[in-house]
Amino acid sequence: MRNCIIILLIVGLVSIWGCQPASKDKQEAQRELKVAVAAPFTGNAAAFGEMIKRGAELREKEINDAGGINGMKLTLIFEDDAGRDAEASLVAERIASNLQILAVVGHFNSSCSLAGKPIYKRAGIVELSPGSTNVTVCEGSDWTFRNLYRDDFQGQFIARYIDEVLTDLQSVAVFFDNDDYGRGLRNAFVEEAEKIGLNLVADEAYERDSTNFKAQLTSIKAKNPDAIFISGLYGQAGLIVKQGRETGITAQFFGADGIDSPDFLTIAGPAAEGTYLTTPFTFGAAGEDAQQMATNFEALHGMAPDTWAALTYDAVGMIAEALEKTYNQEASVRDNRKAIRDHLASLDTPEEGYVGVTGITYFDVNGDTVNKPAYVKIVEDGQFVAADQQLLDLN
Amino acid sequence: MAQFLEQIINGLVLGGIYALIAVGYTMVYGIIQLINFAHGEIFMLGAYIALMLITVFGIPFWVALPLSMVLCAMLGMLIDLVAYRPLRNAPRLSALITAIGMSLALQNLARMIWSARDRQFPTQLLPTIFQGQNAISLPGGGTLPYRDVCIILLALVLMIALNRLIYLTKIGKAMRACAQNPVAANLMGIKTNQVIAITFAIGSALGAVAGIMVGLSESVTPTMGYYKGVAAFAAAVLGGIGNVTGAMLGGIIIGVAEVFGAGYISSGYRLAIAYIIMIVVIVIRPSGLLGKSTGTRA
Repeated sequence: MRNCIIILLIVGLVSIWGCQPASKDKQEAQRELKVAVAAPFTGNAAAFGEMIKRGAELREKEINDAGGINGMKLTLIFEDDAGRDAEASLVAERIASNLQILAVVGHFNSSCSLAGKPIYKRAGIVELSPGSTNVTVCEGSDWTFRNLYRDDFQGQFIARYIDEVLTDLQSVAVFFDNDDYGRGLRNAFVEEAEKIGLNLVADEAYERDSTNFKAQLTSIKAKNPDAIFISGLYGQAGLIVKQGRETGITAQFFGADGIDSPDFLTIAGPAAEGTYLTTPFTFGAAGEDAQQMATNFEALHGMAPDTWAALTYDAVGMIAEALEKTYNQEASVRDNRKAIRDHLASLDTPEEGYVGVTGITYFDVNGDTVNKPAYVKIVEDGQFVAADQQLLDLN
Repeated sequence: MAQFLEQIINGLVLGGIYALIAVGYTMVYGIIQLINFAHGEIFMLGAYIALMLITVFGIPFWVALPLSMVLCAMLGMLIDLVAYRPLRNAPRLSALITAIGMSLALQNLARMIWSARDRQFPTQLLPTIFQGQNAISLPGGGTLPYRDVCIILLALVLMIALNRLIYLTKIGKAMRACAQNPVAANLMGIKTNQVIAITFAIGSALGAVAGIMVGLSESVTPTMGYYKGVAAFAAAVLGGIGNVTGAMLGGIIIGVAEVFGAGYISSGYRLAIAYIIMIVVIVIRPSGLLGKSTGTRA
């Protein structure tokens, strides 16, 4: 009998304890709206992740300081994919199965966005990337969006810029990172270069974990190109530029948005001088709201924002706007997640588009942003500055 | 031809670095039959320690280099003391697992302290000879940074010194005795634990030099020890694990093979080619190039 009472007591306590969190969850769900930010906060692309986090935090703070979203607090949950696709799949599963999270800003690396895509699609949650440029990222899923250009445009743009603006550069070599981003961008560049008659003299790949590029650089040097296009990320590109100059390469280095990070400058050191790169955004050519954002960013973090901070700032803003217009406390998580997607998909003309610091963002049927221009930057005195000559007619 | 010469030099630089790391693996293995996976992390910490000494404490490079060697030697002995010595008589697998654990622990410790981002030695604080842009012009338009010459020479000098130490000094004789038979060596009055500690110290100090050299020509990251460590371990196996001269030879072969693989075939095969060479050698000579084929040990 006494045993029975004890068992009953335990059962009673457990059920009370079991009920407790559930009711608390409900209260919390009403007070705050959760959005995940998935990016490489560690690993080879950590410098991007750091800026993405700072940009997202600034937007979160601004929204909450202004009273939140319809009175509810916006809470960002940061998930680290380490820039690796295998890790990104795990992160995506974790996010998709967390029924408090309404949308995802991320991933950054194209390979990570691609790894997350099927998982987000199955779970029915929006994936809005502020950094993936591989052509195929948004294909085949209604749930994946991005707020910057694609690599077919970027690769073509770089080839055209070399051909039309830097006319004394006749022969080019390509040195690419053997992953989704590097390969896709290289393909677009090579296709356009062949079409417009640039002389492609070398086409070498490297692996993401390499730190010593002397062997490939020596064989590229033997082909004597006028320009070398590095299709990869800042960490390896910085070392390539540095080791390339040590190897005695005098060619013009060219990079893309993957090297648009202050860390490129610190890794390459003085060798970075004169390197050209393309980027989806530059504060130098942006409007007043962008300058205001830069000021607020400096005040909050004590450093200047970069391209990715700005794109993430906008991406969080877009999700917040979607939540403001569509979030319904009575509806299920599934419906709320779908309402965000439907809202983003409805931004399909310049008039409907989201006006952010990086320009107007609207989507085509894939979820790609096709209207945003590419800018050219050059490294001068250890800093990125907008190049004298842009090529905006292509845009 | 000019390109070939340059590639040979690239290979020798990398090979010299591998050789410096590989002797650390091979010396420890020779004496206690332990694959010290944490050795790659000592190599990484050597680079970080020197970097910190130079950037945070403002110590000149020529002082930071030996200081980092001494600190790494102490760290190597400490790891032996806390992680391996208690397991000296345990099954070999236990010590091996401990070594893997130690490696992961140190790698993540470095990540916690210095973050995962790549770091560079600040060029302006280095002696001019180690600044990569100062170079000798090679015939045929190539350049050879003085730094690379220094790396090759330093590796060579340290290797010869180590060789002399092992074959001409008393401690060297004690090390060889321990490698042959630790029990008998102990019975002859050799303090086995002390000799093992000194072995760890020497291997770690050479690893630290290699770490600094890699830091100077590439970059310093928490995972550098893993990537370079695996290649250096392959070099030790190729040369005949337990044999110091073999480790040097193996390092050079792996380094040159890697550079030729990447430079002439494809970068995807850079390590594949080095490993294929290793496998072929091991299949033909299971004890490695210079290893002794004794059945009972190694």
